[in-house]
Amino acid sequence: MSKSAIDGPTKGGFSFDLCRRNEMLVKKGLKGPSFLKTGTTIVGLVFQDGVILGADTRATEGPIVADKNCEKIHYIAPNIYCCGAGTAADTEAVTDMVSSQLTLHRYHTGRESRVVTALTLLKSHLFSYQGYVSAALVLGGVDVTGPHLHTIYPHGSTDTLPFATMGSGSLAAMAVFESKYCEGLTRDEGVQLVAEAISSGIFNDLGSGSNVDICVLTKGHKEYLRNHLQPNPRTYISQKGSFSKKTEVLLTKITPLNKLVEVIEGGDAMEE
Amino acid sequence: MGDSQYSFSLTTFSPSGKLVQIEHALTAVGSGQTSLGIKAANGVVIATEKKLPSILVDETSLQKIQILTPNIGVVYSGMGPDFRVLVRKSRKQAEQYHRLYKEPIPVTQLVRETATVMQEFTQSGGVRPFGVSLLVAGYDDKGPQLYQVDPSGSYFSWKASAMGKNVSNAKTFLEKRYTEDMELDDAVHTAILTLKEGFEGQISGKNIEIGIIGNDRKFRVLSPAEVEDYLQEVE
Repeated sequence: MSKSAIDGPTKGGFSFDLCRRNEMLVKKGLKGPSFLKTGTTIVGLVFQDGVILGADTRATEGPIVADKNCEKIHYIAPNIYCCGAGTAADTEAVTDMVSSQLTLHRYHTGRESRVVTALTLLKSHLFSYQGYVSAALVLGGVDVTGPHLHTIYPHGSTDTLPFATMGSGSLAAMAVFESKYCEGLTRDEGVQLVAEAISSGIFNDLGSGSNVDICVLTKGHKEYLRNHLQPNPRTYISQKGSFSKKTEVLLTKITPLNKLVEVIEGGDAMEE
Repeated sequence: MGDSQYSFSLTTFSPSGKLVQIEHALTAVGSGQTSLGIKAANGVVIATEKKLPSILVDETSLQKIQILTPNIGVVYSGMGPDFRVLVRKSRKQAEQYHRLYKEPIPVTQLVRETATVMQEFTQSGGVRPFGVSLLVAGYDDKGPQLYQVDPSGSYFSWKASAMGKNVSNAKTFLEKRYTEDMELDDAVHTAILTLKEGFEGQISGKNIEIGIIGNDRKFRVLSPAEVEDYLQEVE
């Protein structure tokens, strides 16, 4: 294959050896593979006692809905959760990796993980891949220093905010936040506001849809409200068939199918 | 001793077929503070003496029993710094297993991987064997388990075991006291009595450490207050 195969054990990171070949193939007319993206609405806000994160549940592959009920709120630590937008595989892998690193860190220090630790681990990883790891994250949690909410961009820059939205539906959701957010919200007010913002993304953005997931993080306690709102229920067809109830049954007759195969006795045995 | 000519090079066998450095490592373990473990019907208990070199040492800063995963804990006899290194490596291996298979690492697997690390240090250049023996206590789908790992990298599953200074007395005591259908609380009492056997000075919640894991599959180290309660019950 390429020279790097002889160099010994992989050093990690991406190998860009095939880029020239891919460019040549695209020029010749071959369409490159698409990847599963979460055209998404993800939000977070800080309320009186902690942080609330929200996300929609639609995963798209171009114009097609690949998963109608995926989980976009990822576990990082018992007191830290992270919503992910962008390439689904990237958000899953990067949050899993940081979660693993934080578990080890907790064993070694004997302390609860801090949100800034998760933040720094995530941003350093994303920066070192120069934006090729397409993960846009909303990270929130409550630690000894209080509640924190951050956004992380694929290139590795971060913001610290009282309320944040990311993904293709971020504009719709931000409109709701900008008009209705205030400091010192109660838990119920916060949950309602988050649900409203996500619903706004679900109904106004094509890349977001299905249900609303919410995660409420307070000091020492977390509430994962999976499918808190289901504003897009599927209308099922009755299992008994699509006849209306007024149909009259005239005749019930069961005709057994004839056996088509005739058994010939003493026929030639199959050749082995 | 005819072996003494071969006792400097780790990777050379002596004429009698021994690796003398490992023997010496076992001696280091044998002069360490006593630790023991007992497997009960519904859990495992591990315990150790925590004798500090002086009364000026802050005993709350030192914890000899360490947690490797939520359902596996470990204690040692021998050299503390070597133990620290092994704990770090084992935790990382457990986490890597979890990353790969998305299941908590089974106790036997973690013991095997730790033992492999210890064996590597008996067959590499420029390193010495670890001067610790470990007692690994865990509870997984196969039930409660107790393993001992030696500096050579060999490991055994025990119903009850002891290591360190007072090993022979402790093992004799355990042999007499151990029963198959012991409950976790009885096991803790037996562990305390066994430690008391060879204990110099007054035993208290501050100079012994006890770690338990029960049906809830959560390993935890008892606080000094809880240890005091058990001590009261035993007397």
